[in-house]
Amino acid sequence: MKRLTAEDVALNTIIFLIMFVTVVTILFPFYYCLVISFNEGLDASSGGVFFWPRKYTLENYKTVFSNEQIRSGFLISIARTVVGTFLSVIFTGLFAYGLSYKKLMLKKTYIGIMIFAMYFSGGMIPYYILLKNLRLLNTFWVYIVPGLLSPFNAVIMMSFFREIPASIEESVKLDGANDFTIFFRMIVPISMPVFATIALFNGVGHWNNWFDTAYYTTDRSLRTLSYILKEIITKADLSSVSRLGAGDAGRASLGASQTYTPETIRMATMITVILPIIFIYPFLQKYFVKGIMVGSIKG
Amino acid sequence: MQSAFERELAQNRRKYLVRLKLQGLRQIFVIMGIVFMLIFSYIPMVGIIIAFKDYKLATGFTGFFTSKWAGFSNFIEFFHDRNFGVMMRNTIVLSLLKLVFTFPLPIIFAIAINEIRNSKAKKIVQTISYLPHFISWVIVAGLIFSFLNGSTGLINQFLMNLGVIHKSIPFLSNPKYFWPIAVISDMWKGMGWWAIIFMAAITGVDVEIYEAAIVDGASRIQRINHITLPSIKSTIVIVLIMSLGNLLGGGMGGSNFDQCYLLGNSLNSKYSEIIETYVLTMGLAQGRYSYAAAVGLFQSIISLVLIYSSNFMSEKLFDVGLF
Repeated sequence: MKRLTAEDVALNTIIFLIMFVTVVTILFPFYYCLVISFNEGLDASSGGVFFWPRKYTLENYKTVFSNEQIRSGFLISIARTVVGTFLSVIFTGLFAYGLSYKKLMLKKTYIGIMIFAMYFSGGMIPYYILLKNLRLLNTFWVYIVPGLLSPFNAVIMMSFFREIPASIEESVKLDGANDFTIFFRMIVPISMPVFATIALFNGVGHWNNWFDTAYYTTDRSLRTLSYILKEIITKADLSSVSRLGAGDAGRASLGASQTYTPETIRMATMITVILPIIFIYPFLQKYFVKGIMVGSIKG
Repeated sequence: MQSAFERELAQNRRKYLVRLKLQGLRQIFVIMGIVFMLIFSYIPMVGIIIAFKDYKLATGFTGFFTSKWAGFSNFIEFFHDRNFGVMMRNTIVLSLLKLVFTFPLPIIFAIAINEIRNSKAKKIVQTISYLPHFISWVIVAGLIFSFLNGSTGLINQFLMNLGVIHKSIPFLSNPKYFWPIAVISDMWKGMGWWAIIFMAAITGVDVEIYEAAIVDGASRIQRINHITLPSIKSTIVIVLIMSLGNLLGGGMGGSNFDQCYLLGNSLNSKYSEIIETYVLTMGLAQGRYSYAAAVGLFQSIISLVLIYSSNFMSEKLFDVGLF
């Protein structure tokens, strides 16, 4: 064992401090959120609850989940995340697979069109006009269709597909498989890391998106969970939360004492939105570091 | 009689048809994507034309061409808006602050994490570090509200319990705090994520160079200074150019819009109103489509100038460029 020099000790201390501060500042806010969400609201508002619920209760979560708006928002969010991610990964994957073929005719033109679209856009207003004229506004499909193809994701995928030896593909082709079957039977399984990465980006993007609900839809039944959370958070007054309580008419008429507050409801809703991300995170993160590194080096 | 030329032509055509048949399905996959981009990217690009027109929403796509020309009047109106100066200042200062404070952080973090010997600890810390990237700004805004709240906010409670302060600090109602809050939350959210790119560059460095340096008696700090930093220089420059290109959007993470929209309110609008939120208010909320498109175009043009000039500078100074 080598002896540590003074410089080593100093450096190790600094590094340890950086890591410690990073881990605590990132994890503690979520933990605090969790603690408050399990605490009685009125009790929490008197302060002093930091590391463990003082008056433990499930009432915040019961209130959140008994709310019709939130339940419907949850379903819409799941639907758009699953359908949107699935279709986008397939569509972008097929596009990237086609474009990664060396001898593709008109390849240069296609790539030119794609790269130009990556660097330039028409901006928010012409985009809105487009969605309106495609009659996508105020439909479920406004969540799905505009995100079907991402040129950035296509570039990441292409750098992966190019690594696949052509000889493997040729041998499958001799067996009479067409490009469609090759894609699903061979390309997708081989390129699982990159598909998982893109699916993760896409899925999280869908789950977190509140903007399209706010500006591309007006129908209440299309509201996503993220949008509802945004309403609860930005209108941090009682109005959005009392609407929450109003769904609970039965209990209100019984005159049962209500212990939740806007703060605890907010925390419980936030945990509800964060949890699905935390759950898929460990499964997919082992892929995405690899995926993003390949993309960032070659892309 | 066929001439040699015609024969060759026919042969070539046959070859082409065979090639096309071989790649027919692949062509279809690609063309579907191209059509998608023509619709969702290129039609809006054509639509920018409304910035110079007096466009009515009811006229649809044909209105792009048939509506009356308005020249530069939309732009001139924007320059004369009484909030123009404030919006420009907020947009630029907020982004510059992020460039100064947020940009170096992932580099320092990536170097620090690379110095950890215990690979398990390294992995755990890294995994935790990019978690905030996947959490939406809505959640971050919620966390900010409950941490910085005037009376019951955690930070105020904490500082008062410690006796550091005796009266709670109005983080959310005093607009002076808006910029620091925006910058710190940007650091919190983006540090681990952007460190991935620098980590990738560091792992690409040949181990033999480090070993040779150790033999020559270089200390760890010397190795960081003379091997690690120079070898990720080009990555740093490229990320810097991209950040400068998106300077008005808030640098690498492009977080200005989300922050200003979600954390902005009537109390802090003097510091939180930026060009993008203004485009949204004017266009989608008030229905002034041509005017809003002009304001948006103004921001895009500045961004374009910024990215080209920073690219030019970096090619001159560091021999590294994007294009």
